Amino acid sequence: MITLSINEKEITLEKPVTLLEAAKQAGIKIPTLCYHEALKPFGGCRLCVVEVERMPKLQTACTLMSADGMVVKTESDAISKVRRGILEFLLINHPLDCPYCDKAGECELQDLVKKYGAGAGRYKEEKRKVPESHKDQILARNMERCVVCTRCVRMCSDVQGASAITILGRGDHSRMEPFSAASFNCEYCGNCLTVCPVGAILSRLYIHSFRPWQIDKEVETICSYCGVGCSLVAQVRDDTIKRVIPGTGFGLNHGLLCSRGRFGYEYINSSERLRTPLVRKNGRLEESTWSEALSLVADKLSAVKKANGGAAIAGIASPRCSNEDNYVFQKFMRMACGSNNIDSVSRTGFAAAQKYFEDLLGQGITANLIDGIKNSEAVLVLGGDPTAINPILGLSIREAARRGAKLVVLGSAKGLEKFKTLQVLPDLFKEAEVLEALLTEISSVKSVRGEIPAMDKGIRMLSEKARGKINVTGFDELRKTLLGSKSTSVVLGMDLVQRTNGNRSLFAVAGLTYLLEARLYLLSEKPNEQGLIDAGCVPDMLPGGRPLGIYDFKRKYEAAWSGTIPQEDGLTLLEMIEGAKNKNIKAMYVMGENPVFNLPDGHYVKDALKALDFLVVQDIFLTETGELADVVLPALGWTEKTGTYTNLERRIQLQRKAVESSSGMEDWRILSEVSGKMGCRMDYTETKDVMDELARVSPLYRELTYPEIGKGNCLWPYNGEPLRGEVSEVPAAVDAAREYKEDFYLAVEKPLFHSGTLSRRSPALMKIYPEATLKIGAKSAGKLGLNDGDRVQFFTQAGSKEAAVSVDESIKDNRVYYSNNFQGGGVYSLLTFSVDKITKAPGLEGCEVKIKKV
Amino acid sequence: MFNETVLKEIDEIRAKYPDRKSALLPSLYIAQREFGWLSNDALQCVAKTLNLPEAEVRGTASFYAMFKNRPVGRHLIQLCTNVSCMIFGAEKLVDFIGRKYGVQPNGTSQDGRFSLVIMECIGACGTAPAMLVNTDFYENLSENRIEEILEGYK
Repeated sequence: MITLSINEKEITLEKPVTLLEAAKQAGIKIPTLCYHEALKPFGGCRLCVVEVERMPKLQTACTLMSADGMVVKTESDAISKVRRGILEFLLINHPLDCPYCDKAGECELQDLVKKYGAGAGRYKEEKRKVPESHKDQILARNMERCVVCTRCVRMCSDVQGASAITILGRGDHSRMEPFSAASFNCEYCGNCLTVCPVGAILSRLYIHSFRPWQIDKEVETICSYCGVGCSLVAQVRDDTIKRVIPGTGFGLNHGLLCSRGRFGYEYINSSERLRTPLVRKNGRLEESTWSEALSLVADKLSAVKKANGGAAIAGIASPRCSNEDNYVFQKFMRMACGSNNIDSVSRTGFAAAQKYFEDLLGQGITANLIDGIKNSEAVLVLGGDPTAINPILGLSIREAARRGAKLVVLGSAKGLEKFKTLQVLPDLFKEAEVLEALLTEISSVKSVRGEIPAMDKGIRMLSEKARGKINVTGFDELRKTLLGSKSTSVVLGMDLVQRTNGNRSLFAVAGLTYLLEARLYLLSEKPNEQGLIDAGCVPDMLPGGRPLGIYDFKRKYEAAWSGTIPQEDGLTLLEMIEGAKNKNIKAMYVMGENPVFNLPDGHYVKDALKALDFLVVQDIFLTETGELADVVLPALGWTEKTGTYTNLERRIQLQRKAVESSSGMEDWRILSEVSGKMGCRMDYTETKDVMDELARVSPLYRELTYPEIGKGNCLWPYNGEPLRGEVSEVPAAVDAAREYKEDFYLAVEKPLFHSGTLSRRSPALMKIYPEATLKIGAKSAGKLGLNDGDRVQFFTQAGSKEAAVSVDESIKDNRVYYSNNFQGGGVYSLLTFSVDKITKAPGLEGCEVKIKKV
Repeated sequence: MFNETVLKEIDEIRAKYPDRKSALLPSLYIAQREFGWLSNDALQCVAKTLNLPEAEVRGTASFYAMFKNRPVGRHLIQLCTNVSCMIFGAEKLVDFIGRKYGVQPNGTSQDGRFSLVIMECIGACGTAPAMLVNTDFYENLSENRIEEILEGYK
């Protein structure tokens, strides 16, 4: 216990903190400039100087630890004089262009000078001149305003880990680099923007468009891009989102954002948004009214149901929609349409893996807090680059490495290149073999735990098969690292799930998680992949992850919904597409998804959807799938509606409404209108009513309310009752191994700056990453005689495309990567696939590609 | 890129330190020795060899005066013009070097033989004026003596 006095106020502390922190706890503000709560103490600006009794000189409060008996004064004439002097020095080179500077009104330097004076200095010398750079289209940097507090440098290297900013020169010639776009390894996270105390780093997205005091309201909400669900604040003026800033003091992202979250918000104001319902007339989509469109949908679906039965209707839910939307969607499909054919594009990765792990290891196995990664002794990353797919989770991995964790990457992860302790590169598409060998070796040291019989048996069977010794560089070190770690995190990307025999890798990962008692994290590209499963948008489970096949669960839901739920498990996503092709599925309802673009073998999917009698698409943009639809219904987007989202750590968070939309309806409202017209009434007037029902009927969401969720700490298992693992035997079905002898294989790029097809409507993200390029390893490029920027044509069995090449040194094998984000066709349209028999996810590996220079 | 011998040398330096960052200054010296000065390419080369962020390498290189951020002649003359040296006529010596070898302060002679830098006190006030040529130290300078000395640097 430490007792000290600050400004004659007695303060008692549990543990020693800096004086600055102690003063803050006591409600005393000490001025700072180089200090930032996200950064380590620096003691550079000297503005936080305080008087401490019995210490000869003024002390910096940000670095001095509090001690018992200290007597501290934070304001006095002597202190004010020093602070004024420091500010006078800082203003020698500062242009004092406040009337023109966007920062005015929220500028820390301006506030300090206002308080301590020195606005008019005594220096006559000329000011330092640094020309403003206009090269960067996103960040405006004006280094004349810079006070060299180095907050941006420290943020970029110590927290973000990009290390793209540095101080060039020294003394009063110091200036921050870079001045040009994306120099070095800039990740455009914009976190430098958050910490800059002056107007030296600003965002071009809103520059000169408003003053900070003109903001009408600030809405705390969550990001709409990936499965992390970062908290952020949307600042609104005239019913438009002016800018997005991270919140301080709340949210799992601790005030950090990535490029998508910070700069990707403009899509909501895109002129391409759907404004009215569209109905196909004479082969063309024409503007229509809500009543006509909704009646048409209800009539058509009723007719199909009557003629062919509910099983002829299929529904695709959306990991971009809220829990409420998805809950109503599955209820609509099951009760109004009478069909369990409900799935989502998550089946191609997250949902498939999640189901596999939960079947084996019990519900909630992936519910681990992202912050937990930081305290791991070892982190195993496989199947993707977390820093691109879930950037904020990636930062936790970097932080773990900084704190001394062993970071092992199986395969490649570009964003971790400078942080990894060990990289193990299996032969092409042979990760499963390495993982199985690893599991076998580890199980020979760590005996099976005896908690889950199916797992124990599966691991024993695997060991008995006694495969040949694996010969991969680093394998021994990998084994030792994992065995030597008392707390391990396993971070799995979907690249290993999207394999023909993906279940082999999944079992090995499940086994490692089980034996090492590791925390398992599944990377999730969309914001609500977990939530849609929990809401029941899967063909074999009711809300709360309750298996449809267990009569008790089904009966309970039937009682709650007053109706009958069809008996049979529905079709999974790829089975639905096949069903449409074979004319078994007659009608399809697609909510917030673009299967034509987001599923492999796009031409096949397109043909299948064309074969439908009736297709409804509900979205915020007219997508490639929407163009095929008979009816298109405009929905509401991010910040236009309220709803809950469940992130990859299974935290339920509230996305709040910030602006009014002149058109479109909430997804759940559209569905309940159609449902009513089909004779299945749903009485919801606002989103809260849906949540209330969900909290009443789902054993997972028991008693959850918006105020409770809104606090941001709605963590697994909530007030719910998780189920234990279901299976008694490890499901296994393995196709014969293929040889991979072709020169090149096409794979899916997961870029940091884009997310699905949403980000293509964000002007800022399009400026950062304007067009798709074919990413190729240095070795492969050498083999083909290709240089950065050369244009090539590449062919697969499914089609061909032309693009510029960009050489990427982090690609070590003969895979080439192309993105699936841009208009005019993505990589999925070129990929052929086969389906994993257990997970039902598409195997995308081994798609041969020929590359020709043009 | 560095050749094999240099890479080996850098590896040996790296082995002496617990982390990569500590090897940065010695590696920058090696790069300067190999390339003559620290161009962007040279800095990239160091960053890549040490697997350090390029920004950090550039920031460090720009902080220290002994790292050259532009091409210099074969021999670098660093002449002091602080108080003692100035009193003993160092400024006249600057003019002399300019006339005789065609090299101005912060410049390089046309034949690439000499570069001239005016440096701060080198602690030879008792024997002023003084200068360094590359790493060799000379004191009690006069025009004749400079001519004599520089004859040894072709």
